[in-house]
Amino acid sequence: MSLARLAAALRAGELSPREAVAQQLARIEEVDGDVNAYVAVRAEEAVAEAEALERAGPGGALWGVPVAVKDMIDVAGTPTTAGSRILAGNVPREDSAVVGRLRKAGAVVVGKLNTHEFAYGALTTSPHFGPARNPWALDRICGGSSGGSGAAIAAGLAAGTLGTDTAGSIRIPACFCGATGLRPSTGRVSNRGVVPVAWSFDTVGPIAATAEDCALLLGVVAGHDPEDPSTVDSPVPPYAEQLAGGVRGLRIGIVDELVEQAESPIGAAVEEALGELRALGAELVHVEVPLLRHAGTIQQAMQFQEATTAHMPWLRTRLPDYADDVRARLLVGLFLPSTLYVTGQQARRIAFEEMRRVFGRVDLLAAPTMPVLPPRIGEETVEVGGREVPYRLALIPFNSPWSLVGSPVVSVPCGFVEGLPVGLALVGPRLGEATVLRAAHAFQTATDWHERRPAPASSTAAPAGRP
Amino acid sequence: MAPLPQLEELRQVAARHGVTPTDEDLEAVRDFLSVLLPAFAELEQLVPPGTPPAAFFLPEEGP
Repeated sequence: MSLARLAAALRAGELSPREAVAQQLARIEEVDGDVNAYVAVRAEEAVAEAEALERAGPGGALWGVPVAVKDMIDVAGTPTTAGSRILAGNVPREDSAVVGRLRKAGAVVVGKLNTHEFAYGALTTSPHFGPARNPWALDRICGGSSGGSGAAIAAGLAAGTLGTDTAGSIRIPACFCGATGLRPSTGRVSNRGVVPVAWSFDTVGPIAATAEDCALLLGVVAGHDPEDPSTVDSPVPPYAEQLAGGVRGLRIGIVDELVEQAESPIGAAVEEALGELRALGAELVHVEVPLLRHAGTIQQAMQFQEATTAHMPWLRTRLPDYADDVRARLLVGLFLPSTLYVTGQQARRIAFEEMRRVFGRVDLLAAPTMPVLPPRIGEETVEVGGREVPYRLALIPFNSPWSLVGSPVVSVPCGFVEGLPVGLALVGPRLGEATVLRAAHAFQTATDWHERRPAPASSTAAPAGRP
Repeated sequence: MAPLPQLEELRQVAARHGVTPTDEDLEAVRDFLSVLLPAFAELEQLVPPGTPPAAFFLPEEGP
């Protein structure tokens, strides 16, 4: 059941918050041993919170809805480990801003979700907590870094989740798990109480079953936070109420360079999805995005040094406690000149102005979310265009261009290749979440890719089933 | 952009930051730098001199 339908059922009294939470906990107990989406389940606390909600009576858009958050996001009294050994004993006293807003809306946080260590990688194969497994094929990764969030949605282990995204960490697992994930504009959602990766790129956002669910979650967590200087002081539109406008008259720019770079069956699925949007009334045009090829380099010129700066105290005192890949990435920032950071910021300004011009001609951009299918756990390379390339490098051109300029991006399921989900990315101008979600919702009204769920735990990809 | 540094150079820079990586760590860093440094050199050529940098936190309007 989607989050929107569950919230409506709770409001209508068809089930109680206690029943909704109990059913969710039972599902986690039954399935998560295979999937490993959760690093902590707040069973007792969640039941007590559901009981308190029942005593208080209905109230809030998410009253009684069981949700889960990535283990980068503080929930008072529950450890925030960031998937690391270093933060094993870190128990926050206060909720993060986003969890505070979820609670105010009546949601019940049932647990913390698996992540790549410190969200600094796209695999979610933690040496400390074990890999989160893709519910579509348990021998494959679910992407990352918000891998637990994607896996939880695919396996029905939460009605909605929050992840974080610095360079693709919401979009990638949403794509690989057949979920819908929204990276909001940088600054749209508060990062207070969230472990940082790279401050100028980080954002919290939803991964859920549908664009409607993402709209509901974003409507709850978005907004200015006077205690977080990264947030923008701009009114939050009623996203869920604005979903119904359709795509008629919207001008969507196809980023051909990325469609062509993707593995051909994935590119074909994306083109078919774009045909669906055209049939719904969108105007499709072909666009070139300036600096597309350089966007990853520009982001990395800043991201490495921001991340290293955030970790300096632990690099000095806890270096052996990092996973090998994360340790290497964090050390890199020590050896880059400070002038490179400023060069990156100069290039970012140019990219920002170029993208402003692009969005003067189109309402949205469209591209594949990822160029490849989820690799098997342990595989470090993927084949793109007949070339073997490191997985971490294959994902950059598809994700960094939009992170770099702080644009909102939604990934929606748009087909299956070899029994594994494929995602369409729809990118909007800054603070254009309402348009991005409206287009995603229109697509999901006309298709059923988002409704398909994996067969019970399987070690190999199987044909997509119906709910 | 400088050529790919040797392990000893990397070790000295790390030590100045109070960080003591192993040789294995530094080899992994060199692998990263071998890809990154040429790309960063290209980036420096891309930016016209005098271009003002973006703000750390982006403004609300555009693109």
